[in-house]
Amino acid sequence: MTGPIDSTVLWLTWRQLFARRRLYLAAAFSLAPLLIALVFRFTSSDLANASVPFLTSLLREIVIGTLLPIAALVFGTTAFGGEIDDGTLVYLLVKPLARWRVVLTKYLVATACTLAVMVPAIVLPWLVVKNNDLPWQFPLAFLAGATVGAIVYSAIFVTLGLTTRRALVIGLIYVVGLEVVWSRLINGIKSLSVREFAVAVTKQVSDGAVQITDPVVKMSTVWTMGTILLVVAIAIAVRSLARYEIAERL
Amino acid sequence: MTATLMREESSSSPVTDGPRPRIVLKNASRWYGNVVAVNDVSCSLGAGITGVLGPNGAGKSTVLNMMAGLLAPSAGEVLIDGAPSAGNPDVYKTLALVPEREAVHAFLTGYEFVRMSARLQNVSDVDGATKRAIALVDMESAQDRKVGTYSKGMRQRIKIAGAMVHQPEVMLLDEPFNGMDPRQRLQMMDVMRRLAADGKTIIISSHILEELNDLATNVLVMVSGRLAASGHFREIRRLMTDRPHTFTIRSSNDRALAAALLADPSVFGVELTPTGIVLRTADRGALTRHLPRTARTANIRLLEIRPTDESLESVFSYLVER
Repeated sequence: MTGPIDSTVLWLTWRQLFARRRLYLAAAFSLAPLLIALVFRFTSSDLANASVPFLTSLLREIVIGTLLPIAALVFGTTAFGGEIDDGTLVYLLVKPLARWRVVLTKYLVATACTLAVMVPAIVLPWLVVKNNDLPWQFPLAFLAGATVGAIVYSAIFVTLGLTTRRALVIGLIYVVGLEVVWSRLINGIKSLSVREFAVAVTKQVSDGAVQITDPVVKMSTVWTMGTILLVVAIAIAVRSLARYEIAERL
Repeated sequence: MTATLMREESSSSPVTDGPRPRIVLKNASRWYGNVVAVNDVSCSLGAGITGVLGPNGAGKSTVLNMMAGLLAPSAGEVLIDGAPSAGNPDVYKTLALVPEREAVHAFLTGYEFVRMSARLQNVSDVDGATKRAIALVDMESAQDRKVGTYSKGMRQRIKIAGAMVHQPEVMLLDEPFNGMDPRQRLQMMDVMRRLAADGKTIIISSHILEELNDLATNVLVMVSGRLAASGHFREIRRLMTDRPHTFTIRSSNDRALAAALLADPSVFGVELTPTGIVLRTADRGALTRHLPRTARTANIRLLEIRPTDESLESVFSYLVER
């Protein structure tokens, strides 16, 4: 076990994140866009012209804009949060195991789980409404955007789950407050919004297949800010796990 | 070895038998904000079973968690085999902790839980070690059930199996007998004794004196974050049972009864209070025999006799005040 990932921690985290209740939630998340697409498909009167704007806004607003941060929030904050809440983290801490390896492994599982929800959420609606105007580059571009989004979001939320007991609330404030409300009012905030990174990457990768007309964040900003957020978040997580002390009941 | 009672200014460090101490605390303290949980504890512990005894909230768990490296000392040092245990994951190759909290990953089976421990410890024969550890705590019949369905005692046992799957040299067990029935308790004590005979260093905390009976040869008594006494179990026990007992007595004539009681050699303190006589005796048995006779001779009617301080806390705090 010399790599950055510990297979036992990977296995444990996987079992934790996909405990039954969360499995239902994940299934609901990944299938909801499909249902919306099916409803559209069988009710739309102008399928030929309406499909592109429909799928664009479904994937951008619902999938990237809402499901992605929520899925990342749920998996990310649970990666450590669950074990901290019930006190089982101690069983990982009293093992001869580098703390940074625990952080990286849990982060990786949280990211993978988020992406596992994103793939069907993006591909299935596309399969339902696809036509000549919606080539395979279309879902692929959104997948690329979602991947970048999942990578950065998960780092932020895993760290939140480790450093605060109110990770879910703070995470929601970040997603709803900063990303949805503020970034529409103040343009500069967009460069701190992971959701905007995902949209920018989608536009860039699609090479014209996805029509996004409003201004997006520059790619250089995405790489710089994305890397900074990622590295800082992971560094904080490693540091706080290394200094983690079990809470005492006095 | 005789028992030592620690004084405020005392800096002597109790040492267990055995040539090489594995756990050394040097003036270790731990505080949370301005709450002091552990205050200036020094000790050296080696092979054998050491009991850490004290009432709830005395700092037993804090001491064990400091030994386990899960809490850094605010002052002083906590060393395992000469190296500080905090922030040093390598100590867990030889050290194991059974935490007090009963939470175990509820979604794993007992076998999976112990096996996970074996894998994280890089044990060479994972399944063999897992089976041996589970057999040692007698949990084979329930090993394939989810831990979430276990009783308290079963959880304690699977936690112990997980902790000793890599055959650690030092084991810290925080209230391990909580929730076990008497039979399981005896069996677990037997396991501990065998490990101790093997030369392992075993630290067991408990708030119940009787739990450590016949198990721990060496006992550390903690009261309010301090090391109040340490030494051989029998010595500690004698100190506790020989302590003076206090009774509150109400009668038809407190003053006359108090005067009569002072003549009794087993009584060494009488105080008149508005609620009755507060009486201190070194010999409880003698007092209960003499008191009715004394009262009858003096023609006084006894209304109430009540032991004042039978709580565990007062037993322990006696050791500090002495």
